[in-house]
Amino acid sequence: MRLRLSRARARRPGGPWRRSWIASLQLLPVLLLWLLPRPGAGEDRVIVRGNYYREASTRVLQPTVDVEVDVPDERLSLGTAYVLDAISSASIASGAAEVTGGDQVFTEIRHEVLGRASSRLGDWGLGGFFRYSTETDYISRSAGASASRDLLQRSLTLSLAYAYNFDRVSRIQMNTMVVLPWCGGSVDIALCQPTGHGARTNLRQVHYVSGGYAHAWHETLLGLASVEVARTLGPQDNPYRGAQIPTSEVEIHPLQRTQVALTGGARWMIPRSPVVLEPRYRFTTDSWLIKSHAIDTRVHVRALPHLRLRARYRYYRQSASFICLDSPGDDLDDGSQFFCSTTEGEFATADPKLGAWHSHTPGVQVVFELDALAGIRYLDWLENGWVEATYNHVFQSNRYGNARLGALAFSLAF
Amino acid sequence: MPEPNVWCTAPVTRLRIVVLGGSVGMALLTGCVTVSPAERQQLSKPEMTPATDASEEVWHTHVEAAREAGFGGHGAAGGGCGCG
Repeated sequence: MRLRLSRARARRPGGPWRRSWIASLQLLPVLLLWLLPRPGAGEDRVIVRGNYYREASTRVLQPTVDVEVDVPDERLSLGTAYVLDAISSASIASGAAEVTGGDQVFTEIRHEVLGRASSRLGDWGLGGFFRYSTETDYISRSAGASASRDLLQRSLTLSLAYAYNFDRVSRIQMNTMVVLPWCGGSVDIALCQPTGHGARTNLRQVHYVSGGYAHAWHETLLGLASVEVARTLGPQDNPYRGAQIPTSEVEIHPLQRTQVALTGGARWMIPRSPVVLEPRYRFTTDSWLIKSHAIDTRVHVRALPHLRLRARYRYYRQSASFICLDSPGDDLDDGSQFFCSTTEGEFATADPKLGAWHSHTPGVQVVFELDALAGIRYLDWLENGWVEATYNHVFQSNRYGNARLGALAFSLAF
Repeated sequence: MPEPNVWCTAPVTRLRIVVLGGSVGMALLTGCVTVSPAERQQLSKPEMTPATDASEEVWHTHVEAAREAGFGGHGAAGGGCGCG
């Protein structure tokens, strides 16, 4: 693993990079994905995935397994999933790096379990989930519910979902390895409480609401749209990233944030062809003044009766947060060191996610449907199974550098 | 600590009017379109079904949430079309 890090004053090996990977506030939409009705509903299914992410200073291996069963049919489906994150990142002990032989790589583990239930009752769909995630200095819990209603002979589906995330954030002290609650850079760590709620506690809460629209506009055309709103309260800065900010001892972000995402897309099967076009566009804005645009275009081709190919291109661009407005020369993250602070020092950040930058992501996917083999003697258990391989390459303009995403997955119905 | 208020200061631009008008127009044009079950053979194929990609979208959402300020857009869109 080639490491590209700099600066001294690290508080914890691998801390800023690992935390920046894990402390994702907006995983709630992901969890609600599992409540969608899937093709082949009415059959029990297991999905095993191996995900891989690598950039200059972080590598993530993520095996997952997901099982869903109907008891006894789609009127009640129960599912569970287990996710393991193995995050390898670099220390920022650059001051001693040359003496000690260079940067070291540390690997930390996150465990996540998820339970969910969903039900189809006529034209109504109902669902709920609970998720628990734990790692050395971060505990996260989420719960959510969704309802959907089919209309127009099931040509139109409207949905509404709510989820609540409640996390406890901690920080590991260098040398002593003592775990202390973290209430954000604006709160004295000595006054921070590990229980209760409010500004002087390490509770981070996210309220998430979404409304969805899916409509078959034609027998070969499906339209999709959604509105999502997230409100986050509590510490949102990184307890280990202060070492990267010359003007502040710690990273200080506001304790509240409101985000809105508007998404539209379509899937169109070109008549008398095996090709499906899938354009998507997403716009987000938030109370930290960051606006983002994402265009994600996919082309699906059924090359053979049981072989699907997909090409993808995604363009993403975002503006800088308000923290960088007082120093506009710093707001463009051009791949070198990045930090900004407000004039009065009220807020400071070294988070590349709060700078202005853009990325290009081309990708390919191959899916082989195992029905092709199910006709062979003793292989009938492969019916409705599939194997999937995906690769995406991210060209990022910020200091994270380019990244590679790979995934292998297979699924069996039983 | 206060957070900046973008909601009250953002100007109404012509682009926003066009986007909003286009969305309303599209909704009116397609509002009552009904595709009967017998006509949904193409829509039920995996490549036309958003839920087919659910497990992959989980991974992409995880990566994007860790590296981008934007969020969402990976599956809150409606719960499918009932085409399966």
